[in-house]
Amino acid sequence: MTLAPENPLAPETPAAFPVRGHTARLPWPFPDDLEAFRYSVNVEPARLVRQTAAGSWGGTIVDLGGEEYGAIMADRRRILDADPHRVRLMPGMGPACWDLLVYYLRDLAISYPHVMELSEHGDVFHWRNHALGTDQRFVVGDASTLPYDPMTFLGREIPDDLLLVKERDGHLCFDAGLVTFAAAWSVSFDVGMTMTEIHNPVPRLTREGVTSRAEQFLRRLPADQVYRRVNWTLSASGSRKLDVSLEELPEWGTDIPALVRDEDWARLQLRIEVEHFIRLPMTGAVTFNIRTHMTSLEEIRQIPAWRRQLAQVVLELPEDLAAYKGFLDYREPAMAWLTAPDRTDPDRTASEKELA
Amino acid sequence: MSATLERYPAHLHPGYRTQARALRVAAVAPVAEDVVHVTLVDPAGVPLTPYEPGAHLVLTVGTDAAGEKQRNAYSLTGDGVVPRTYEISVLLQRPEDGGAGGSARVHALAVGDLVEVEGPRSSFAPRHDQRHTLLVAAGIGVTPVLSHARAVARWGGSAEILYSYRPGRGAHLEELRALAEQPGITLHEVVGREASAALLAERLADQPLGTHAYACGPPSFLEAYEAAAERACWPASRVHLERFAAPELDPGVLFSAVLADGTSLEVPPGTSLLEALLAAGRPVPNLCRQGVCGECVVPVRSGEVEHRDLVLSDAEREAGDVLLSCVSRAACEGGVIEVEV
Ligand SMILES: Cc1cc2nc3c(=O)[nH]c(=O)nc-3n(C[C@H](O)[C@H](O)[C@H](O)COP(=O)(O)OP(=O)(O)OC[C@H]3O[C@@H](n4cnc5c(N)ncnc54)[C@H](O)[C@@H]3O)c2cc1C
Ligand code: HEM
Ligand code: FES
Repeated sequence: MTLAPENPLAPETPAAFPVRGHTARLPWPFPDDLEAFRYSVNVEPARLVRQTAAGSWGGTIVDLGGEEYGAIMADRRRILDADPHRVRLMPGMGPACWDLLVYYLRDLAISYPHVMELSEHGDVFHWRNHALGTDQRFVVGDASTLPYDPMTFLGREIPDDLLLVKERDGHLCFDAGLVTFAAAWSVSFDVGMTMTEIHNPVPRLTREGVTSRAEQFLRRLPADQVYRRVNWTLSASGSRKLDVSLEELPEWGTDIPALVRDEDWARLQLRIEVEHFIRLPMTGAVTFNIRTHMTSLEEIRQIPAWRRQLAQVVLELPEDLAAYKGFLDYREPAMAWLTAPDRTDPDRTASEKELA
Repeated sequence: MSATLERYPAHLHPGYRTQARALRVAAVAPVAEDVVHVTLVDPAGVPLTPYEPGAHLVLTVGTDAAGEKQRNAYSLTGDGVVPRTYEISVLLQRPEDGGAGGSARVHALAVGDLVEVEGPRSSFAPRHDQRHTLLVAAGIGVTPVLSHARAVARWGGSAEILYSYRPGRGAHLEELRALAEQPGITLHEVVGREASAALLAERLADQPLGTHAYACGPPSFLEAYEAAAERACWPASRVHLERFAAPELDPGVLFSAVLADGTSLEVPPGTSLLEALLAAGRPVPNLCRQGVCGECVVPVRSGEVEHRDLVLSDAEREAGDVLLSCVSRAACEGGVIEVEV
């Protein structure tokens, strides 16, 4: 059994660096030549395979996470069982959730044929996920045939946070969501809001016209194309913990102060979010599904191109953006640690010399 | 290196195709005088793309005298949920009634024929959060209304249906009557123009708060519907309609269009901006050429426009940064419009 996506078209791409697993699959959020980061409507077609300094990513809409899949899903299911408020549906969003479920199960069965199977007879579907042991028959549109609502059923099978937007009175509204891995926001608070309302806390975004361009883009999203976007920040937690939502604030709120006090920069995490935009045809709802990845400064340090670029981008960022992203107070010492030459490793010292 | 290695198709599953492709005719059946019901399936048997209630399919019905593809829109009559068939009902428009032969060609289809289709496309979708719906159909306008009604039944909503038809010409009457057996769905049948107008006024005045209304039928019927809704104080945002054809337009004024590269085009009365652009070799997507589908939208940089389409909202007209080139023109004789084409 393998969790590698089936992509007969994908050429064999040997990793440019002898790293495996987590780092090799990581969706590094910056183009090679990027030196300064600003907000923009940074969307690109989905399924484009991107090579990075450590490997490649992007061939599939859903990234199960290789050997981490089981652990991520256990975390997701634990949170959903403990806190039902992580799933919020506005009135009338039931059909859109079925639309979402059908789209994703069909896509998964084709992307991961060794692990996942879907058979269809009219409206009767049979879904099997051999990695998690799911074996479920259901009738599309009949909620009584599933153990959970369709959005929750899907959320218990894949690592992505699931968000749906729909138009109401001329605005795109965030009208359904299953979110267990939010970065310091809360689905209960944001559900039902317009895109402008949601993006209000983000500095510059609305004032510089990015929010309205993003909304225009989503409104015109054609049915025959799928797009994606990458977002990044430094995580509010010094561990791989994906759930740094407002609901869990007591659990993670003291992580970073402690990490800063101990100058334990190796544990600091770059948080990368890959978001997919799909217009679902049965309801016209648009997805904004978020797959969150974490990587520590310790790991980034292993890849010379990454350590250099991250330090450059983080240090160059204007104060308001750095404050919003939460690292204004500690970015200098953290980035100094990231780029400090490590004398115990002759290779790395050599590359640092080369730089100088 | 963030080099691009390979570009994959957007949707892996075949049941999400919307581009031009061939479907096979699986059944043809008369459903009323001059109306045939055509069932289409994928030749390879794969599932068809789901669609929103009220969506339509674009059929290539032939080629016109200039060798251009002639494409007509036909509403899908199903509920749109993981469909295995696409079904349309087509009224024969005789040439003496202004038909251009497209509907006659659909009537000539036989089981086994291949038809080129595009879509489904959605331009008459229900509001997802509606609490109740009033569905209004007249004549062949019943097709998208049937689709809405089936979706309401499927998802357990509530609807009141008003169907105005001429005796012997009530297509899909049996299906609507069967739907009205379900709890939450009622059907009012009405024959004749005056009776329809009276019933429309009565039902519009008696709907629960939060109802959305949807209507499809001939132009005069839709005018009456809009007027009645306004008299009953319905907010425009809850009054929806779909037109199968636009009213006749006057030939309009002479004006000129300045293109992105500085080229200037004269557009005489009787010629549309779309036609002028196409003649000048500027490809602009288009479909209905009657200002109803929204396909031929063109960004406007400057110039006062007389909007003659039935697509743009009042707010979009006021913003003035787009126009539908198949019908809209400069606001006054000799005017100049700068377009980004
Ligand atoms: C969204 C939508 C959904 C529809 N659904 C249905 C349905 O479910 N069932 C159904 O029977 N019909 C439906 N129609 C109408 C259908 O598309 C055809 O218009 C109808 O079948 C008549 O076709 P025709 O080829 O005979 O005539 P058409 O080509 O449509 O001609 C009809 C009229 O338009 C004029 N016209 C045609 N082409 C042009 C042009 N290039 N420029 C100016 N005027 C022109 C003609 O002179 C004539 O008066 C729908 C239309 C739309 C827009
Ligand atoms: C192309 C579309 C979009 C763009 C370009 C965009 C852009 C952004 C940016 C730049 C941020 C700040 C992130 C950071 O610096 O870490 C942000 C935050 C956020 N976005 Fe979006 N966004 C888009 C669509 C959406 C949609 C559709 C939703 C909801 C359904 C959404 C929900 C959020 C939320 C909840 C936040 C956090 C806001 C907070 O701090 O409270 N975004 N977005
Ligand atoms: S071609 Fe349909 S609106 Fe112009």
